[in-house]
Amino acid sequence: MSGEVVMARGLTRVYQEEAVPVHALRGVDFSLSSSEFVSLSGPSGSGKSTLLNIVGGLDRQDEGIIELDGEELAPLSEGDLAALRLRKIGFVFQAYNLVPVLSALENVEFILQLQGVGSAERKERAGEALKSLGLSELQDRRPGEMSGGQQQRVAIARAIVTNPVLLLADEPSANLDSETTKELMELLRNLNETQGMTIITATHDPMVMGYAKRQVHLRDGTVERDEVVTD
Amino acid sequence: MSANLAFQLSFRNILRHRRRNAMLFAAVAVAVLGSSLSMGLVRGWQYDMLDGVVGNLTGHIKVHAPGYLDDPGIQRGFELASDYQPDVPSEDLMGWAPRISVPAVILSERETRGIQLVGINPSAESISFLDKVVIDGENLSGPGDGRMIIGKELARQLKTRVGLRLVIMTQGSDGLTRERGFRIAGTYDAEGTGLEKAYVFSGLQTIQSLLDTENVTEVSIRLNEEPKKLSIQALLVDFFIGLEVMNWEELNPQAAGLYLFTDSIIYIFFFFIMGALIFGLVNTLIASVMERTKEFGMLRALGMNRRTIVLEVVIESVLIMTFGMIFGLVLAYFSFLGLEDGLNLGVWAEGLESFGMRAVLYPIMRVDDFVTIALMSLFMGVLASYWPAKRATRITPLEAMRG
Repeated sequence: MSGEVVMARGLTRVYQEEAVPVHALRGVDFSLSSSEFVSLSGPSGSGKSTLLNIVGGLDRQDEGIIELDGEELAPLSEGDLAALRLRKIGFVFQAYNLVPVLSALENVEFILQLQGVGSAERKERAGEALKSLGLSELQDRRPGEMSGGQQQRVAIARAIVTNPVLLLADEPSANLDSETTKELMELLRNLNETQGMTIITATHDPMVMGYAKRQVHLRDGTVERDEVVTD
Repeated sequence: MSANLAFQLSFRNILRHRRRNAMLFAAVAVAVLGSSLSMGLVRGWQYDMLDGVVGNLTGHIKVHAPGYLDDPGIQRGFELASDYQPDVPSEDLMGWAPRISVPAVILSERETRGIQLVGINPSAESISFLDKVVIDGENLSGPGDGRMIIGKELARQLKTRVGLRLVIMTQGSDGLTRERGFRIAGTYDAEGTGLEKAYVFSGLQTIQSLLDTENVTEVSIRLNEEPKKLSIQALLVDFFIGLEVMNWEELNPQAAGLYLFTDSIIYIFFFFIMGALIFGLVNTLIASVMERTKEFGMLRALGMNRRTIVLEVVIESVLIMTFGMIFGLVLAYFSFLGLEDGLNLGVWAEGLESFGMRAVLYPIMRVDDFVTIALMSLFMGVLASYWPAKRATRITPLEAMRG
């Protein structure tokens, strides 16, 4: 369980905002081994979301190298990146981003459908994912009929149902109260500890950071601190 | 697999905005109903026109001696065996009629007019307008009837009436002038045909006797189905060797051109009505795509490819069109049932007559027209989804990640 899942060297990303270049990342080096649980933190504009997006194949660096599970992302086309995200990455978004017209079960199932998994297997695996997060009772409900915490748990079920090599959570607690945040982070920690799920969260929330075993702090597009948390 | 998902998402999204989409279905249904009715009315007019052209003594196919059309006269007649039957499968043949048709002069006590004298067998004229016209007085009783029937308008011009005698002068088979008095058995009113002033009918044998011939100048053949005219024309060409066998389009190219033009009118109507609808559909779909920017971005982030996104938008558009189209066609079907007895355009009868139309128009909806409307509606649905789908594929996953 010690293979390198993410390897980034000299990542630079510059955005043009009204003709003014904004350096979101300035030569960031970052690597992540399998089964690690890392939090990226830092103030707004520090580059944590940019780094998360580049690791997740949602954005491209201007300079540097990024590899995911041994595969370099820069040469991949948009379509190849989409396929890679589908196969290897689970996403948990700040705003849950469930499909409003699908039930909880269908929201988890559809990612398997995109992978081409057959109907019976899909239903079984989606049902199991929901069950493992204590959501069996809610499987027929649509997002609008669930609380924020329940929706975020469904989003986690959707993220893990494909057994991804990496789970990315961008501000997962932003819309949740403390109690629900705690439940959610317990869930992620449990996934990391029992299933060896590799997790990166980007957060401002100290409570979320506290669950990670390694904390990477960014400031002004550079890694200010990278430390392993000991119990 | 992705197609199933795209269908599922499209269908659910339509249900999600029931009220908005219900309005759109209604708009599609009304447009399809309007297209169908206008198509049916124009098709009815087209058939009416065809019926008029074919019924005006032309038939679907007509046989003449060579040169008759340029110089019609009994010298360009041909012999027809007394037991002749057209070599046409009976299920395709509505009927046939041998005739003599020659130019002549008609004289009353006060007026003289040039006319076309036609010798007919009344029982064979079920294929022509003579079977449908209203006759004041009596019809001819048979091919040997020595009386005549003339158009009401001609009777007015000649200042004559039923029961009086008229004299007809024409050229016999020997080239000499023949004349004979005929009593008027009846006057006919051929609405919209334009034949009333020119055509005078008497018994075939009577006219043969007047012209001193046993020949006829034409055989008119009417079929049950117009589209079979070419194949049957080919059969008859082999039988009438040395004679001209022509179909109605060749005999009346102006009417044939108008008939084809009517097909174009049908589609012009359709494209105008549906084209206007497309703008509404595009607008609604773009609004729907914009509302779901986050959703599309998220789907892209999770790995859905652009093709599936496009498919989702296209299916949504096609589903809206399909539901609306089915509803519209059902409405159209019942509307056609309601118009089975025809649409009375009596107020405009005089004007319509000048266009060769009758006062009662019978809308006609052919199965292939229904199919065309259905297929074109689906095509319009795909077309309408082009811009919204393109817009949807431009949404980047980052937009979703930004929350």
